[in-house]
Amino acid sequence: MADLVLDKVDKVYDNGFHAVKDLSLDVVDGEFLVLVGPSGCGKSTALRMVAGLEDITDGTVAIGGRVVNDIGPRDRNIAMVFQSYALYPHMTVAENIGFGLALRHEQKQSIKDKVARAASLLDLTSMLTRKPKQLSGGQRQRVAMGRAIVRDAELFLMDEPLSNLDAKLRVQMRAEIAGLQREMGTTTVYVTHDQVEAMTMGHRVAVLRLGELQQVAPPQELYDNPDNVFVAGFIGTPPMTLFHAGLTIDGDSVRLKVGNQEIPLPREVLDERPSLRAHNNTEVIAGIRPEDIHSAAAEGLVPLNATVVLAEALGSSVHVTFAMEGQPVDESRLGSGLAQEAEEDISRLGHGQDIQGTAIFPPRLHFATDEAITIHVDPSRMHFFELESGIAIR
Amino acid sequence: MSAVIEAPVPRKKHLTFRQWVGRNGWRHVVAWGAIALALFPVLWMVSAAFTHDPSISSGALIPTQPTLENFQTLFSNPDQPYANWYINTIFVAAIAAVFTVIIAAGAAYAFSRFRFKGRKVGLMFLLLVQMFPQFLALTAIYIIMVNIGDVFPAIGLDTLPGLILVYLGGALGVNAWLIKGFFDTIPIEIDESAKVDGATHGQVFWGIIMPLAVPVLAVVGLLSFIGTINEFIIASALIQTPSTKTLAVGLQGFIANQYSENWGPFTAGALLAAIPVVILFFLLQRFIVSGLTAGSVKG
Repeated sequence: MADLVLDKVDKVYDNGFHAVKDLSLDVVDGEFLVLVGPSGCGKSTALRMVAGLEDITDGTVAIGGRVVNDIGPRDRNIAMVFQSYALYPHMTVAENIGFGLALRHEQKQSIKDKVARAASLLDLTSMLTRKPKQLSGGQRQRVAMGRAIVRDAELFLMDEPLSNLDAKLRVQMRAEIAGLQREMGTTTVYVTHDQVEAMTMGHRVAVLRLGELQQVAPPQELYDNPDNVFVAGFIGTPPMTLFHAGLTIDGDSVRLKVGNQEIPLPREVLDERPSLRAHNNTEVIAGIRPEDIHSAAAEGLVPLNATVVLAEALGSSVHVTFAMEGQPVDESRLGSGLAQEAEEDISRLGHGQDIQGTAIFPPRLHFATDEAITIHVDPSRMHFFELESGIAIR
Repeated sequence: MSAVIEAPVPRKKHLTFRQWVGRNGWRHVVAWGAIALALFPVLWMVSAAFTHDPSISSGALIPTQPTLENFQTLFSNPDQPYANWYINTIFVAAIAAVFTVIIAAGAAYAFSRFRFKGRKVGLMFLLLVQMFPQFLALTAIYIIMVNIGDVFPAIGLDTLPGLILVYLGGALGVNAWLIKGFFDTIPIEIDESAKVDGATHGQVFWGIIMPLAVPVLAVVGLLSFIGTINEFIIASALIQTPSTKTLAVGLQGFIANQYSENWGPFTAGALLAAIPVVILFFLLQRFIVSGLTAGSVKG
């Protein structure tokens, strides 16, 4: 077991693509760190540099205090689980799991014992003599895990290990992997683009965008206090509703102008975010989570007029996508940047320049498309970001 | 909705004879024609091998008085040491096949897995060189072998190791391409996974890649083996000593003489020479179909 330190790591490919920019990360011994971001954000590249499968253009990677920049993957004492599992098709499950041990010339009996122990941990004991192609997706995934845990590696690296599984199995394996990591206490870096995996599995989550680190924090912290507009929009499904708003502070009275509507903010908002005063009479970006928008009026909630764009009844709740007059946040600040055009095409569902947002309402409410509704936002739960930089105002 | 949707049942149609000929029958005609064309030379050769003093034009397809005297002739004439040729040929073909596979697979692994300067040029160059038959360079090869023989007589002119070396060089290009095509279909994650597991490049190559590529390796080995057994031009130029000759060169001696065309021993010898090829074909048969196609199409 060991810690992992990335110090100002850069990756520039031969074709000039700058995949990872100045990435610094500290993963403490025994920690489960999740690397998350949209596709093309450099999270897999970062992981592969730690594994030694990609050259490091600049900066240093240190595992357990040892700089490993010039050390090959085989000598880094790490174990990696690939998205495609990458099992050896011509070997049995037992041989697959024991391959790394055999390469290290361990005693036959010792290999057998360790493989048996890993297999029983992963419920693979009855599969040991089978070949990978005779296994189901979930079993293959387990073999890939077995190959990693059998080695007593200092570091586990996992590159979207669950994305090839069906939804139900993914839930099960998610819990199994997290449980296994807790049990073994091995430092783990886990790459995913899945929100739920990011929120539920790791001690901390690192959000990457276009090769740049946006924020590292425990999941709840990330959700409650996103550092910038991108993290706010990326973490959470359905995403936070973000829009331009004019801020007016007059003594203790704070008002937010959205389109032609106004949201009076309670005093606490100002008390909790002293620097908000500096943005008096300017435009800021405001955000509100879907669960902080309510269908029914209540004490402290602010009613706003909106139009229903889409209502999806999920059984336990209804996700209502609504449109509201006002200026939305430029999609390119929220997306990966690579898929900007495509995102703009699909995101608006034909409502021009209106703000579009999502609310989570209680089940068994019915909405018709284009129906005018009143939504009730909780102003004390709003988020504020600087217009230009997108940095959170606190 | 309670209506059950029934899948359409294909109706069986009875074809008239004319329709049958139009749709399927002509295929039978073509197939039988092809079979006849392929089998006739073999039949003739088998027949001639068991016939006393056969000639090309005369004789029945089924010999009236079958005899083994042609086979006895093969093994009794010290001027034409058939047994030596046989051993030489198997030796050359086997070694050439094994090393062709190893060398071509090594080259293919590098071309498939590593990114280095000159990779694309190298691949194109291999392909380009392969377009010219090796015997175009016969004169050059001959001179090279003479010169090598001056320094290392063991691998020079008129030696089997020398002949093997020439064969190895000539077959590299197309085989490397064939094997590379197969390697490209093996996901690179498997290599990477093995490296993280602690394998060196050599261990990845021998322990992971080669076992997975067995079908294409079998095909390359077999094609190389057959090609070497059949090869005549280079062997006839480089080998002069009767006891060092290969089957193709030696057997040709039986029919080269204008006034004594010994078709009997020739066909008998050729028949025996076919045995190892046939055996190998049967042993590797299951790989051949998958190997020949697997290299060409991804997925």
